[in-house]
Amino acid sequence: MILAVFFLSSCRENEETVKVSLEKREDIAFKQQLPAITYAYLPQYAHTESFQRHHLLVEYLAEETGLAIRQVFPETFDDHVKMFSQGKIDISFSNPFIYVQLANRFGAKAMARIIEEDGRAEFRGQIIARRDNQGIKSIKDCRGKSWVAVDPSSAGGYLFALGHFVDHGLKLDDFKEVVFVGGRQENVILGVYAGLYDIGSIREGSLNVVKDKIDISQIKVINNTRWYPGWVYAYSPRLPQDVADKISVALLRLDYKNNPRHRAILDAAKCIGLVPSNDRDFDPVRDLSKKVGLDLE
Amino acid sequence: MSDYLPKFLYRLRFRTKITLGVAIMLIFCGLGIGLILSGMSSNALLLEGKKRGMALTSGLAFHLAEPLLSMDLLQMKNSIDNIRKQYDDVIYIFLTDASDNVLTHTFTGGFPTDLLRVNLDSRRKQPLLLTTERGPIYDFNARIVLGESNLGTVRLGLSRSDMDAQIYRQRLTSLFSTLGVVGLGIVLALWFSRTVTSRLNRLRKSVEEIVRGNLDVQVGFSPEKYCWELIDCNRRQCPAYGDVRRRCWYLAGSLCPNCLDREYPGKMESCRHCSVYKHNFGDELQDLAEAFDAMAMTVKKHIDELTEREKTIARQQGLLKTIMNVTPDFITLQDRELTYTFAGKAFCDYFNLQEEQVVGKTDCDIFPSEQAELNLREGKEVLLTGHPLAKEMCLKRLEEQRWFHVVKVPVYDENNSIMGVLLTARDISMLKKFQAQLIQSQKMEDLGRLAGGVAHEINTPLGIILGYSQLLMDDIKDAEVLEGMKIIEKQTKVCRKIVADLLGFARNSQSVSETVDVNDSIRNITNLVEHSFFLNGIKVLVALDVNIPPLTGDEAKLKQVWLNLLNNAADAIGKDGMVSVQTKLDPQGERIEISIADTGKGITKANLSKIFDPFFTTKEVGKGTGLGLSVSFGIIKEHGGKISVLSPPPAEYLPEDFAQSKHMGPGTVFIVELPLGSAPIK
Repeated sequence: MILAVFFLSSCRENEETVKVSLEKREDIAFKQQLPAITYAYLPQYAHTESFQRHHLLVEYLAEETGLAIRQVFPETFDDHVKMFSQGKIDISFSNPFIYVQLANRFGAKAMARIIEEDGRAEFRGQIIARRDNQGIKSIKDCRGKSWVAVDPSSAGGYLFALGHFVDHGLKLDDFKEVVFVGGRQENVILGVYAGLYDIGSIREGSLNVVKDKIDISQIKVINNTRWYPGWVYAYSPRLPQDVADKISVALLRLDYKNNPRHRAILDAAKCIGLVPSNDRDFDPVRDLSKKVGLDLE
Repeated sequence: MSDYLPKFLYRLRFRTKITLGVAIMLIFCGLGIGLILSGMSSNALLLEGKKRGMALTSGLAFHLAEPLLSMDLLQMKNSIDNIRKQYDDVIYIFLTDASDNVLTHTFTGGFPTDLLRVNLDSRRKQPLLLTTERGPIYDFNARIVLGESNLGTVRLGLSRSDMDAQIYRQRLTSLFSTLGVVGLGIVLALWFSRTVTSRLNRLRKSVEEIVRGNLDVQVGFSPEKYCWELIDCNRRQCPAYGDVRRRCWYLAGSLCPNCLDREYPGKMESCRHCSVYKHNFGDELQDLAEAFDAMAMTVKKHIDELTEREKTIARQQGLLKTIMNVTPDFITLQDRELTYTFAGKAFCDYFNLQEEQVVGKTDCDIFPSEQAELNLREGKEVLLTGHPLAKEMCLKRLEEQRWFHVVKVPVYDENNSIMGVLLTARDISMLKKFQAQLIQSQKMEDLGRLAGGVAHEINTPLGIILGYSQLLMDDIKDAEVLEGMKIIEKQTKVCRKIVADLLGFARNSQSVSETVDVNDSIRNITNLVEHSFFLNGIKVLVALDVNIPPLTGDEAKLKQVWLNLLNNAADAIGKDGMVSVQTKLDPQGERIEISIADTGKGITKANLSKIFDPFFTTKEVGKGTGLGLSVSFGIIKEHGGKISVLSPPPAEYLPEDFAQSKHMGPGTVFIVELPLGSAPIK
């Protein structure tokens, strides 16, 4: 017992020590970063998420083009727009609304759109209700009902549905209430499923996300909106055209199916490929913004 | 030392032993466990400190990823400063990028570049203990990683001194807690040992009292309620009712329905389920004390009974001894080896021995060899045959011969085997004497009858001889012949007198039954003899009880008795003396006592028993026939009375003025008792 006591008492005394002086001080300076082409991902996620999704792609582009390319991290959407305007972002990967803003305001030029995991380079919204809600069978039945959406700036989750309602003669005032729950699209589905709201608007594909949590057969899709172009790569007008072309080529060269490295890059970026794009692809967005009163000019 | 310690421990009081034992155990266990726990908790504290440091560093690494990506230096600085301020023991934090550029740090006035040379590899075991001017510091390294990309490194310095201080405080707390618990334990041990030993001491004192002989002890404590109060039974006849010293389960014959009339410990089986037992039952010590009380009472009861029995036995022994000592019979007891185990007082006195000189000895040790051999032979015969032995034997001792009737009987033990010989011997000398007297009486009776027959036969020839002698004397003129005839007549008359006396002795002659005044008859005789006595210098003192009533009898015969006795007195005196004649009525008025005492030569002891025999006389030849007292004896017997003689006479038979002088003899008194009624005197 006494030996055990001594053993237990003395075991920590055997730690290795290194003598270090805290008094020996030096002034140190941060090394300046080398100039590089800046790549920014519209900050809809945390920087770490943005980094993890895109740093492989950035490394790929640098390798492919032989250019120095560095990912930068705007804090907000506005910051993204502002940094683009200031020339701090050369290549922007953003949603169509931000792109239209950047294009309209700062001359951004679209060069490629991503193909989502569902195989499309477009996406649309869905208007949902509880299956047992017999009062809502068509888009017109939504009048006077409570509408839940995720966020007023959400394209698929709100703006597309709003445009769709406008197309069918429904304005915001025609609803009993419009509630934004924030967070993720799942909140909207769960709100409708729980019966808190009559209808909800979501981006297509969101239902699959919650199929393990709720019985999604209890949810019915009242209507789908039209297709809109998805996320887009654009480049700053300040970027030389040849550089932009190099980058565009490198992006379009990514082969999800046949190249494992490309596949890993695209998986990290949550898409399966890119298609060429130009500014005209985004006219429907411009139309929509007019319908819903969104200032993208 | 090795011997001294056990002796020292052995001599310690039990209470001290318990306290010391528990204290040593507590100190060893307490300090041992305290040290182990203290060591464990110290290590745990150290480990916890390290984990905390690592958690802080890792947390910072996680939180600094965002500002690092966005190169938000302000946020980086704020984050590390926040942590630095929040925890006093955090000495420094600094952040480097993937190229080991220090992006931000918490030092003021330059950066200690030594830190950039140590603990660079975050894969080594963290933290690294640094020895600095500010004491030992744990340096933690955490990389900022996203996926497989290394964005940078966070380094955090945590003061080891603070951890040591905390460990020290914890050890002090442990030490004092342990000491407190040990102290409390010792106090409890003291209390416990005092509680246990006080009850043991009670028990010990009670045992001492018992050793001293006082069985009236009580060790157990009295219960709050006794059994009869608990069950309210009101069975006053129950042995447990009112017994405040013993619990009912120790008592036999208690009347509870559950007791089943069984004795302890058989009844315990049922008692254990009884509410009284459950209420009053104590721990083992209480149980022991109560059992001890019950035992003491039982022992006391038994001892009282034994004492009482002992007293009875002693009383009986005393009684037996008294009987043995008082009885004139010889009693002895011999064992199988014929050694004396008991000898009665009469036996010892006779042989002039002490009991101690007899008990444990054999006949050879006590008696002459011839007698001893005889005794041993007889004893062995009784032991062998089992037949009692009875015999008469004569022992001569100190010129005295005594006859004994000896009986030797075998004594059997409980197994019906002979364990010894009991001897009883009764002195039958008196019986022998009476037997001799009886034979003599028978002889005298036969002699009387013979003498009577002879007298009767010669009475007639004597009458003829006397008649013819007297007739012849008338005719004889010759003086010489006449003188001869007168001698014949005289001697014939002597013979006729002898024959008359013989007849009077041998057969009851015709008696006259008349009223006799004894005093008058005595007075007549004394008057008759007074003159002739006076001539010989003999003075007659007469003291007659005037209250004596007359009795029925033959006055002439009684007068003959008085005359015989007075003549005997005068003969015994010879010249100059005194004769006292007294009459007395006994207080019951049933008999008259006449005594005639003299100052004569007295009668020897040997002659006293023969004095009334016929023809026995101490007088000179020719002076008495030896029939006077025999005739008197016969007359008094005829009157239902009794005549006896004492020599010398006791004072009560002598008058106060009865002169005594040297030339006078010891004297004799004849006492005649005559009944007033018809019942004769035995």
